[in-house]
Amino acid sequence: MSFATRAGVVRAVDGLSMSVGRGETVGIVGESGSGKSVSMYSILGLLRGPNVSIEGRVRFNGQDILGRPDRELRALRGKDIAMIFQDPMTALTPVYTVGWQIAEQIRQHTDLTKRQAHQRAIDLLAEVAIPDPSRRVNQYPHEFSGGMRQRAMIAMALSCEPSLLIADEPTTALDVTTQAQILELLAELQERRGSSIVLITHDMGVISEVADRVVVMYAGRPAEIGTRQEVIREARHPYTWGLLGAVPRLDSKRARLVTIPGNPISPLDVPPGCAFAPRCTYRHDRCSDRPPMRGTDHLDACWLDDAEKEQRRAEIEEAS
Amino acid sequence: MSDVILRVDNVTKNFSVRRPGRGGRSQIQAVGGVSFEIRRGETLGIVGESGCGKSTLARCIVQLLPVTSGTVEFNGSPLTGLSRRQLRPHRREMQLVFQDPFASLNPRRTVADIVAEPLRVHRFGTRSEIEARVRELFTLVGLDVNSLVRYPHEFSGGQRQRIGIARSLALNPQLVVADEPVSALDVSVQAQVLNLMAELQEKLGLTYLFIAHDLGVVRHVSDRVGVMYLGELVEMGPADPLYDAPLHPYTEALLSVAPELDDGRARTRERIVISGDVPDPADKPSGCAFHPRCPVAQDRCRIEKPSLIHAGDGRLVACHFPRRR
Ligand SMILES: Nc1ncnc2c1ncn2[C@@H]1O[C@H](COP(=O)(O)OP(=O)(O)OP(=O)(O)O)[C@@H](O)[C@H]1O
Ligand SMILES: Nc1ncnc2c1ncn2[C@@H]1O[C@H](COP(=O)(O)OP(=O)(O)OP(=O)(O)O)[C@@H](O)[C@H]1O
Ligand code: SF4
Ligand SMILES: [Mg+2]
Ligand SMILES: [Mg+2]
Repeated sequence: MSFATRAGVVRAVDGLSMSVGRGETVGIVGESGSGKSVSMYSILGLLRGPNVSIEGRVRFNGQDILGRPDRELRALRGKDIAMIFQDPMTALTPVYTVGWQIAEQIRQHTDLTKRQAHQRAIDLLAEVAIPDPSRRVNQYPHEFSGGMRQRAMIAMALSCEPSLLIADEPTTALDVTTQAQILELLAELQERRGSSIVLITHDMGVISEVADRVVVMYAGRPAEIGTRQEVIREARHPYTWGLLGAVPRLDSKRARLVTIPGNPISPLDVPPGCAFAPRCTYRHDRCSDRPPMRGTDHLDACWLDDAEKEQRRAEIEEAS
Repeated sequence: MSDVILRVDNVTKNFSVRRPGRGGRSQIQAVGGVSFEIRRGETLGIVGESGCGKSTLARCIVQLLPVTSGTVEFNGSPLTGLSRRQLRPHRREMQLVFQDPFASLNPRRTVADIVAEPLRVHRFGTRSEIEARVRELFTLVGLDVNSLVRYPHEFSGGQRQRIGIARSLALNPQLVVADEPVSALDVSVQAQVLNLMAELQEKLGLTYLFIAHDLGVVRHVSDRVGVMYLGELVEMGPADPLYDAPLHPYTEALLSVAPELDDGRARTRERIVISGDVPDPADKPSGCAFHPRCPVAQDRCRIEKPSLIHAGDGRLVACHFPRRR
């Protein structure tokens, strides 16, 4: 997926292949600008326009959805696939009550009457644990706290019982106690309804708490994909090692944090070989060619051979 | 010189705010009766959720905001109630580093100018002495001296935070008050800045008051930690025991839900998800301000406000029923 900009072509997502199973939670993690949001927006047809070009294939329930007409995609979004954004204020309109907005969304995809949709909105607010839902349903978004707005967003997303929920940093703007409430709510709803979740975050801690499988992105490319266990305990990509090592721990104090030298790169100047090479401690000759994603279930894009990866990882673990 | 560099005694800060819907104005207490000391060379971390008064406290300490009551003492002399002119010699000794490296740097000035500004204001020396000092500061924080003539927007977030740190260190302060200095940064860059701050502390013998909402970051940098809730300190003490065995139910709940890497070495814990939201500071609950959300609250908590009392081993807690260890 690329944007044509005045400064040149931005390849915001480059060669991402991933799948989401039924009832599964897939976490997408990476630093700012790594293409997490754009990758999901582009598959939903949310990015359009003359400067946007998308290649590849996206299948949902076995059907190709990329490039479908806008009308069809709109019907799919909100009904089968729902999206939750980082800032609920962008998705909620300030001039309508929360209840009206949820009811309207329901009416677009069902033939419930106004009254029935309103009642359903109250039930949904109750389901996402908003206290006093029959009163709250008539309030405006600004009368809700940040956590309550995010709950309202989730209620709206759930209104048509989607089978896939894409949540883009749903808790990044929230405090830890509120974050815990929202993550617990998502897990509960998933268990109850068996839906699949894609959770976008930059927080390895959040990933570690909720994801079944993890996609680590760097500079628009997947660096590593595997189960949570594989990525967190047996990481194979030097970037993942850096990400994990940079997180300050709650249970013990390390003298120094592992750091990744340099800064996250701009998608305008991704080097020709491995995108991570300029910051990589283990860079070597082969890295001037682009490493393919290798592996069967646990995949990574790094030229180091397996034995070497194992050894490096052990060294890092030893040191910290 | 005394071992205590900063003494904060019963500091309260009220704001008068318009109440939507109700008309008229009312007082909110952003900081309520906070007391603590910081010893020279130590790092005191302050942690708490959004709106609990961390930034207000920081601004009261460096005298960017007048306190409503209470005193702030720096190196043994009281700062509260001093005139601007009287404050001036103290100001250079205590510097504030802000959260947002983007908003806190003037976009129309070169970074050399930005770092030199406090030097000029405090008449550090001749032009060439100032220039030399700026170069020295750039090297100190790991920035390329060739980039001195560039503008803030040409730098990344982490580099901008380094510029902010360089500026705050320009006058050789004794105390650096850092208000969420790494919250806006990506984790790999955050780690670089945290390591830099640790190095500088060692090299220059700095004292830090380090404010953040990230529990892991606070533990990593702090010798002692204070936990704030609704403008008040609810627990305070040496970092390790506070994290390993919190005394206040709020600290315990916070730590139990902080996301953590499950890499096989993490502690086992039971999640305590507390319900509801932080109350509006304008409607502070009676008794213990935490009681409506507290999993172990009793009748007494609704009525009687617990004060921050000693709990042994340098620990303090404000709770009628602290967790038993
Ligand atoms: N409309 C656009 N035009 C040009 N470039 C864009 C556009 N939208 C995004 N980009 C670029 O695409 C890249 C990926 O952006 P994206 O928003 O997906 O990152 P992200 O991983 O979600 O980051 P964050 O954690 O900051 O949300 C970025 O470099 C961004 O600057
Ligand atoms: N100038 C002001 N006028 C009125 N109220 C204020 C003012 N500054 C802060 N407050 C209020 O005081 C309380 C404490 O705010 P403060 O900014 O100190 O919190 P904080 O702990 O720094 O939060 P955050 O983590 O979001 O930065 C909040 O309720 C805030 O709305
Ligand atoms: S391919 Fe080379 S540069 Fe890229 S991560 Fe692996 S070792 Fe580092
Ligand atoms: Mg994003
Ligand atoms: Mg603040």
